[in-house]
Amino acid sequence: VTDSPSEANPETAAAGNEIPEDGAGALAVFAAELASVVGAAEWSAEFATVHVSVDRERWREAITAARDAGLPFFSWLSAIDWSRQVSVGESVEKPDEMHERYQVLARLSSVTSGDGALFVADVPKDDPWIDSLVPVFGGAAWHEREAAEMFGIDFRDHPNLVNLYLPDQFEGYPLRKSFPLLSREVKPWPGTVDVEGMPGAAPSDDDAEDVGEEG
Amino acid sequence: VTQLDPRVAMHYSEVAVSVELETPDMTLNIGPQHPSTHGVLRLLLELDGETVISCRPIVGYLHTGIEKNVEYRTWQQGVTYVTRADYLAPFFNELAYSLAAERLLGIEAPPRATVIRVLLCELNRVASHFVWLATGGMELGAVSVMLYGFRERELILDIFEAVTGLRMNHAFIRIGGLPMDLPEAAEERIRDLIGTLRGRIGEYQALLSDNPIWLERNRGVGVLSAEDALAWGVTGPLLRAAGVPKDIRKDEPYCGYETYDFDVPTRTESDCYARYQVRIEEMYESLRIVEQCLDRLEPGPVMVEDPKVRWPSQLEVGPDGIGNSPAYVKHIMEESMEALIHHFKILTQGVEVPEGEIYQVVEAPRGELGLYVVSDGTNIPYRVHMRDPSFANLQSLPRMIEGGLIADAIAVIASVDPVLGGVDR
Repeated sequence: VTDSPSEANPETAAAGNEIPEDGAGALAVFAAELASVVGAAEWSAEFATVHVSVDRERWREAITAARDAGLPFFSWLSAIDWSRQVSVGESVEKPDEMHERYQVLARLSSVTSGDGALFVADVPKDDPWIDSLVPVFGGAAWHEREAAEMFGIDFRDHPNLVNLYLPDQFEGYPLRKSFPLLSREVKPWPGTVDVEGMPGAAPSDDDAEDVGEEG
Repeated sequence: VTQLDPRVAMHYSEVAVSVELETPDMTLNIGPQHPSTHGVLRLLLELDGETVISCRPIVGYLHTGIEKNVEYRTWQQGVTYVTRADYLAPFFNELAYSLAAERLLGIEAPPRATVIRVLLCELNRVASHFVWLATGGMELGAVSVMLYGFRERELILDIFEAVTGLRMNHAFIRIGGLPMDLPEAAEERIRDLIGTLRGRIGEYQALLSDNPIWLERNRGVGVLSAEDALAWGVTGPLLRAAGVPKDIRKDEPYCGYETYDFDVPTRTESDCYARYQVRIEEMYESLRIVEQCLDRLEPGPVMVEDPKVRWPSQLEVGPDGIGNSPAYVKHIMEESMEALIHHFKILTQGVEVPEGEIYQVVEAPRGELGLYVVSDGTNIPYRVHMRDPSFANLQSLPRMIEGGLIADAIAVIASVDPVLGGVDR
């Protein structure tokens, strides 16, 4: 029961704020140092991917600090909808425990080495805003427009926060989990289409039709 | 000649025209269907005479919701979606997705599969650069280069077809490895092709590198400083032509790239001509890597053994092309009920991937291709975000075009080499 994550998967390094002594330790040290530079409370280095959690009030400040601390390359920005309302699959393991929120992610990396980190900020669903990064990185403009139209997040101080892909009249935010994928609403999950009833079960309408044709 | 209309008089060089012509700014729409816009890119240009004052790229005409669709399919089905993003670099999309899922699963593809993956990707890079050369040549009026570029690309696509059954959108790199091994005699065919391609690329260099028209149209055109490139997220040949030797294969090696011997070509001029030189040299480097792949191919499996992860059906070349192996179909249909149950369990329910969030990045022909993959522990990805290099590269287009001539704008688009399938996803 007390398997450490690194035993389950060799790539899994530290979670939370513990620095392991194995090979993944260097990455955890990097993550911890970065977190202190940008003033973040939490970080993780699981699956060799460094995450640094930032309060949305300090978002632009933290990203600027990280840029000046040796991560001058802005790679991308996007978001995730953490929702209990998952339309397909068995959903998250303990849906009731999940904290409903949007998460905005931005990746910065070094130019001279493979160092890089994902900065993550939680955005509450009832008041989805975060500061725009365009004043820090011009290249954030399109990424933020995409995240805004797909998730309905307001990027404050964005110079031109209009739809990037979708037509102006489009209603809804497609990448929200509550937005249905029409092709799946109309057509059920493949594999559930041609299921025959178990022997002895009451015949379905389809079976009745078949009998009629044969008769 | 005294009373000539100034509009007529300007055509006679011996007539001095001192009349101020009115040149109101003009808005020019290019695309979304236009031969020089590489697919369905649309540009709104504000012109003062022939000078571009402002340029506004408009995208979204090829938006297919790949990221949303993947959230509704099993992990293995996701491969067939992501491969369609940047349709000139399908293997790279598949590779980044498969590597991410494999890392979450804690598995690794067998060595032979990894070597074949590298081999296919590097051939794909050459094929993609051929399309850049062909379309770039066409846009600058070098139609012969267009014909040659597509002709040579077809030679590589023939190999892809022989190996995967398809010219594009192969879905051949899958979670756990590959669905089938290289066909017979593929290695000799690829080796022959390397020699052919080397010779052909040399011919294009002889045709273009010192060609006065090519130099005039490309030198000093579309300059983007390294600082701007970094702030705008520009990667790939564009960034390397600006003097930054950033290459994921060297910085964050995957698939054993650290064991291959190759160079990262760079230039410092950061103009269209520098990008041309970088890409041409990259083609030679890729062919070097392909050669090394062929040398280190050892017999062995191409898919992991774990029955809970591996795709159950085997592919085979039959008289009508590649399809499910008849022996395997016979096995599940006539011999083993357990095999049939297992087959349908994996096909319909897929594989459950442990909870986790991962960023997997590969060096695609156009730059940094990254997939951010989130699993909530189920058989379906919770979220997949594709960081496509064309997206960021295209965003920087106005910085390269504004202030230049409209004719140069076309050369710049060609040098950016955007693929709208990747931009829009």
